Amino acid sequence: MTGLGMVCEHLSFAYQAGEQRVLALRDISLSLAPGSSTALLGPAGSGKSTLLLILRGLLDPDEGEVRLGGVGMADRGYAEAQRSVGLVFQQAERQLFAATCEEDVAFGPRQLGWPPQQVQEAVAEAMERVGLSPALFARRHPYALSGGEQRRLALAGVLAMRPRALLLDEPFVGLDPAARRDLSAILRGLATSGETVVLATHEVDRAWELCEQRVVLAGGGLAASGAWDFAAGGVELLESHGLQVPTLVELWRRLGRPLAHPPRTATAAAEALA
Amino acid sequence: MRAAVAQYYPAASWLHALDARAKIVAVGVLSVALFTRDAFISLAFYSGAATIGLIVSRVPARWFWRALKPVLWLVALTFLVQILFAPGEAFFRFGPIRLSWRGLELAGYLSLRLIVLVLFGSLLTLTTSPVALTDGLAWLGRPLRRLRVPTEELALMVTIALRFIPTLLAELETIMRAQRARGADFSHGGPLRRARALVPVLVPLFVLSFRRADDLALAMEARCYVPGVQRSRLHPLRASWRDGVLLVAVAGIVVMAVAAGTLW
Amino acid sequence: MSTLIDIRELRFAYPGNQAALSGISLNVQRGESVAIVGANGSGKSTLARILGGLERPTAAARALVCGADLTTLEGRLSARREAGILFQDPENQFVGADVEEDLAFGPENLGWPAERIRERVEELICAFRLEDLREREPHMLSGGQKQRVALAGVLAVPRTLLVLDEPTSMLDAAGKHDVLAAVRRLHAEGLTVILVTQEMEEAAIAARVIALDAGTVAFDGPAATLFTDQEALARLSLGLPLPAAVAAEVERRGRRLGTLPLDLEGLVTALREVVS
Repeated sequence: MTGLGMVCEHLSFAYQAGEQRVLALRDISLSLAPGSSTALLGPAGSGKSTLLLILRGLLDPDEGEVRLGGVGMADRGYAEAQRSVGLVFQQAERQLFAATCEEDVAFGPRQLGWPPQQVQEAVAEAMERVGLSPALFARRHPYALSGGEQRRLALAGVLAMRPRALLLDEPFVGLDPAARRDLSAILRGLATSGETVVLATHEVDRAWELCEQRVVLAGGGLAASGAWDFAAGGVELLESHGLQVPTLVELWRRLGRPLAHPPRTATAAAEALA
Repeated sequence: MRAAVAQYYPAASWLHALDARAKIVAVGVLSVALFTRDAFISLAFYSGAATIGLIVSRVPARWFWRALKPVLWLVALTFLVQILFAPGEAFFRFGPIRLSWRGLELAGYLSLRLIVLVLFGSLLTLTTSPVALTDGLAWLGRPLRRLRVPTEELALMVTIALRFIPTLLAELETIMRAQRARGADFSHGGPLRRARALVPVLVPLFVLSFRRADDLALAMEARCYVPGVQRSRLHPLRASWRDGVLLVAVAGIVVMAVAAGTLW
Repeated sequence: MSTLIDIRELRFAYPGNQAALSGISLNVQRGESVAIVGANGSGKSTLARILGGLERPTAAARALVCGADLTTLEGRLSARREAGILFQDPENQFVGADVEEDLAFGPENLGWPAERIRERVEELICAFRLEDLREREPHMLSGGQKQRVALAGVLAVPRTLLVLDEPTSMLDAAGKHDVLAAVRRLHAEGLTVILVTQEMEEAAIAARVIALDAGTVAFDGPAATLFTDQEALARLSLGLPLPAAVAAEVERRGRRLGTLPLDLEGLVTALREVVS
């Protein structure tokens, strides 16, 4: 599968909050290469969720343009978004509504108009990918699953649509440690399958572990985009926007080790220290 | 969507300082009296009262306009119906349309009454906080307790329901977007199709609401809430001489309006 | 009264279900800080609700919280008065129309006169730095802010014991920091604190850790002792913070580090010692 390239140019978006007009995004220009994995960082209220909604085509920007695979969202690009861009919302388990797990996962593929055989295959494949074996889970009621399992089921519902780009909004919030580990493993698996991934999260350690690049939003504006660069001011950049520095990067800094390629996982760190 | 909930506009005005109970009774009496006496002179008194109220309330006019907007189509419709189907001598004919003075008059009464009614209601809700309003209604409804109606608990339920409206609306929007992101279509098809399309939105919203109610009940008990026990209030209802003045003024307006309507 | 929690052989089962707690014995003195840890289904949230007087124990040789007998209704009502509980979801604890109304909820339930309620609300606004949020409605607050208001609201009624059931799991880093800082401060001021959590770095702020495993007490002692036992930690499904995970991996490759460091400071110190 080929990932979808996404480009934003001079995006701006404002909304009405009571009497005031709030500028959620200011002049955002980004380029996300096909198959890339990008962390979307920023304090609460910095516009991350809004940006994801715009990338999926659920919100129209007041100014600026979004292009998916070179096609503008304003014309045929929206159809492309519907087919190829998956968005996993915060607390995604809230979208579960069907009587069985497989019915719920099948919802998206069915809405895309796929033939029953293809729907079935997609559902089974998606459930496997998130570690909910169809043999065990297909007929169970979604609400009988644990919190972590429900969230993975919701993710399966999006993956079943075989998106070429996957957007995730704070997928780790509210999960217990075991569920977080499981979800991390699943997202790591996605890196090899080719989708373009955008992960909006406040958990900087996960962002560092799972994503090649990062975009930092602050107060609706773009503070940085591109590859992580701790050797050249990356630490100061995060700190100046009130964001945490990844623990392993901070460890390397304290130990006085070069910051060109800090370890991304505990295992890698231990290897380097041995 | 904000118009769905009666708006409260905090300000420092005479009306804001009045006790909720007095305001509720005043608006109740005026609204009923409004529909007696078919005479423009009577309606002039009520309209005058509404206008004075508007000014004294220090609430910007656009808030009243916002309250009126949804009703204006109804006013226009009633006006039209009254004119076309009213009794009386026609002074103008154009094909099937016939206008009579009587029809014009009745249309005028009804339209004016609707507008003044909305203004009275808005004066109440714009100058009284939802909490005070609920407390006021609970107090006025106390006699119902003899019929085993749990007025105190109902008042608290209403306050909590109002508090959750913005939260529920936000959740509704999120769930609709999430399902739209999975290809759900809420805007096409006949009524049956659209109703079915809402299942992926309503089921989660209901489930969420029940879970929420469970959690909230537990949190309330943890903060020593016991149903049936009399609760005190941070902002207790406190009547003063000003409320007496309001009620006397209202009585005066009604008496004058009825008298004027009868004599002219 | 110095023994705030005195529980022996407490059992609890939901109607028609298996036992959630089987034979819990627990003793907590005034002024202690205790963390209760355990995997999902270990019974920790049920225990928290029982300690707060919100659930009736199915059976117990003794079940006293702040001197009140949990097996009777009066006892539970008294326990609800003495012990406050902060729950996980900030949204579902906010009762009032705005922050002030919410803070007043507890005292209103106890029938306090309006002036006393007003005074208490002002104290709470000051103590929890809620000045700017006074008249905000809940949908205008962030998760962390709502949880801070919820904590203040729980303490509006003066408490001897504070139970917190995974209070930070739905918050971001800033929110977590605020709530834990407030808890530390309250403990320093004399409040007895029971923190139910699955995060080791949170459990570490308590002096004593009680680990539940399938409804029974698997460990009850100092945090440091539990955190060196990696096998136990794995069995209890506790979330290892990254510095501890690094230390564990380093040990797996042959270097001994001693106690498992829970934060970056500890890890850096431990690593420097090994190098030198």
